[in-house]
Amino acid sequence: MRQTIIAIVLAAAVAGVTAPLAGCGRQAVRAAEKEFLADQVMVFDDDPHEASSDDHIRSNREGAAGGHGAGGGGCGCN
Amino acid sequence: MRLQLTAAAVAAFGAVAASGVARADDRAEVSTSVFAEKRDGGKGGLTVIHPQADFGIDLGRFVSLDAAYSADAVSGATSVIYQADAISSATSFSDTRHEGTLGFGLHGKRSRIDFSATLGTERDYLSHQIGGSASIDLPGRNTTVALAYSHSFDQVCDKDNGMLSPQETKALTGADPCDKRSGIFGKDRPGTTLWRDLSIDTAQATVTQNLSPTMNLQIAAYGQVLEGFQSNPYRRVRIGQNSPQEHIPGTRDRLSISARLNRYLPGLHSAVHFDARFYDDTWRVVAGDVELGYSQYVGKSLLFKLHARVYQQSAAAFFKDAFYYQTQSTAGEFFTGDRELSPVRNATLGGKLTLITIGGDKPVWGLFDKLQVHVKSDVLLLDVLSANSLTDNRMGGDKQFIYGNNLIDAVILQLGVMGNY
Repeated sequence: MRQTIIAIVLAAAVAGVTAPLAGCGRQAVRAAEKEFLADQVMVFDDDPHEASSDDHIRSNREGAAGGHGAGGGGCGCN
Repeated sequence: MRLQLTAAAVAAFGAVAASGVARADDRAEVSTSVFAEKRDGGKGGLTVIHPQADFGIDLGRFVSLDAAYSADAVSGATSVIYQADAISSATSFSDTRHEGTLGFGLHGKRSRIDFSATLGTERDYLSHQIGGSASIDLPGRNTTVALAYSHSFDQVCDKDNGMLSPQETKALTGADPCDKRSGIFGKDRPGTTLWRDLSIDTAQATVTQNLSPTMNLQIAAYGQVLEGFQSNPYRRVRIGQNSPQEHIPGTRDRLSISARLNRYLPGLHSAVHFDARFYDDTWRVVAGDVELGYSQYVGKSLLFKLHARVYQQSAAAFFKDAFYYQTQSTAGEFFTGDRELSPVRNATLGGKLTLITIGGDKPVWGLFDKLQVHVKSDVLLLDVLSANSLTDNRMGGDKQFIYGNNLIDAVILQLGVMGNY
């Protein structure tokens, strides 16, 4: 199981690096088209307190809490 | 009463993962959540008040500092013995947990790296955590890759049971002393109490991808390895005529894969959200959840969001309904009365209203470029499932936990203020 975890996390990291190199990241959306992607409703975990509070509550009721992803929107608007 | 160790691990790692978010402005946020659960047993319900505050500031173009504090004030009823009729062992308790985090970040045009240190303390549980995260926008700025890792050095106060076998051990009680050195390190009292170690390693890889001008996707893989004492030291399990402290494995490897999708609807000035997740671990808890959300702007300063989530998990391999522990003994070496390891299904329904004020030429309250005030409310509906055959279970499974049997199991209310300056 531990080896599986490490393998999957590494595979996800490698996929994240290689997929854009295959062309899916560079051409998808031009900078001038990112108005909607920059909106706060399109940002994952825009409110860190809300996200951590949700996780906190779930961790006390569910055996599977944690690991819902990271914040950010990938809009490249930073 | 020790708060759940997973809460510390999850919340602290959440702070690490979230710190990877590149923020455009200095930021401050204060919020308070109130969780109220109905419970049987005549000792009242369960109430958790969870205030949070964090503050972030950019020092020049490349460096940022963050500080965060949160607390849990817990009071209500709990059951100290897992048995077919848990209500008879219901008792009142209260506890407070404090947690503080300091963070340091370096950021460039397209990337950032953050480090954090977290200290959590309560009467019978200590957590020391270090973590780091890194994220980068890949060429084209349509893909963000983020990696995060944290390590927790935790300590759990426990009864000193010497060389007793698991089925002879006594549980910790609220009257037992849990001594500390300098307030943040456990100090054993041989023959009475000792501090047991628990290490938690957590890693997460996340890829966020713009799919179109109105749609983005995030895929995350999460792994966690826990090594050490993971039982609740207070909890006892009725096995025949005895009630020893619960005994669960010292190693747990956890894994989850999740996908989230946002789609903006320009014509409606709204967005839809989809979230799905699969979870598996070496205790054979298998779980999945799906969440749908809808965000709608009303004018320029009001944002309304609705969301609904369903979740279901299977029981851990060593979990049994209390009746079977009492009448047939354990399922192998281990035994537990942890409701988080039981088979359960739940649903969450809720809404959030956010009032957004943009400062323009004149800062809001003389300080903020943007200020958001929000109120959020959720209701939880819980369905406890049977781990074993109900046909042969003469006592049933309705009273092995002290949940109420109401339609709405719990209510969550959150109030918050977030300002960018």
